[in-house]
Amino acid sequence: MEFRKRLLATLRAIEPVLRVEGVLVVGSEVPNLLEAGAASTLVVSQDVDIGVPVSVHAEVKRILPSLRGLKPSPEEPSVWLPETPALIEVNFLGMDPSRLDAADTYVLKDTVLPLLVFGPLSLIRAAPPIDVDGLHIPVPRLAGLLIEKLVTDRTGEKGDRDLLVALGLITLATEADFANAANLFVSLSGELRHTVRSNLTVLSLLDPRPGMPDPRPQRQAVAALLARLEATGAEQ
Amino acid sequence: MTTVALERRAREARSRAAVRAWQYRQRHHAHGVWFGLRRILTQAAEAYAIDAVEAGALLDEGMLAEPVGSKLEPPKTVIFVPQARLATLVSRRALPLRLGGEMLEARCIALVRW
Repeated sequence: MEFRKRLLATLRAIEPVLRVEGVLVVGSEVPNLLEAGAASTLVVSQDVDIGVPVSVHAEVKRILPSLRGLKPSPEEPSVWLPETPALIEVNFLGMDPSRLDAADTYVLKDTVLPLLVFGPLSLIRAAPPIDVDGLHIPVPRLAGLLIEKLVTDRTGEKGDRDLLVALGLITLATEADFANAANLFVSLSGELRHTVRSNLTVLSLLDPRPGMPDPRPQRQAVAALLARLEATGAEQ
Repeated sequence: MTTVALERRAREARSRAAVRAWQYRQRHHAHGVWFGLRRILTQAAEAYAIDAVEAGALLDEGMLAEPVGSKLEPPKTVIFVPQARLATLVSRRALPLRLGGEMLEARCIALVRW
């Protein structure tokens, strides 16, 4: 089954959760969903991340038993595993606006839905939800997700994959998105601004990976974004 | 149900943040050199290894060596060169724009800006 169908079937399976105020699809599937008609050609992973504000954790928890086709992983109950190949894995993550830095990452302990509350996710803001085949999909504003991917320091394969998500967002960004990203960049601490710039240079020099978007044709767009962020006058 | 895996991932995220903070403090020292090199390579559409004689000629013409090159050991001469002048460099050999062996081994590098 093609990936787009599995992604949308999964989102349909968890749509009651997606209708809770503040819940957002975050992470690697957002570029796929933001493509025209959620074309999902920018596949970089086989799971979907769902951001849950800690303020609505209890409400989401109440809904979970009604979901069909997925069940929590015994080893890591914030991960819900598909019971059929027609669906993909769902990862629930916590969002806490009082935390910004990765150094503030913590675990919201809960017997039903424990969450890794990852600081930089609080950079994300909701965009108007998109509608795909009648499915309500709450997505974040592109700029916030882009900066979140670029402030997040990761290593190895996972780190490169996250940077390729940032690449997917850069290919989809409008002038307004880049302007918003620059505004967000200026609001960051010097350390996080440096991390953004550093990650852009890494992205610019990444080798292509099988099954992932080739970063080489987008090198100029990456360089332009770096130049734009540096032109804000923030730390050189 | 257990949160062991989540606790481990949270610890890893906090550890990476601590490393990042150290790297930021080191940005004007040795660690920052790699960022500096990546940054100028990001600004380049093309990169070429050239020989020392032609690199010297470019400097004699008034082109500037990028400061980050002198901070590497052994030092590199890295120069942004106009496309037209690049075409006259007989020793030029295209380098892939990544921090791979060829780039790191080249002593003199000509870059073309976007």
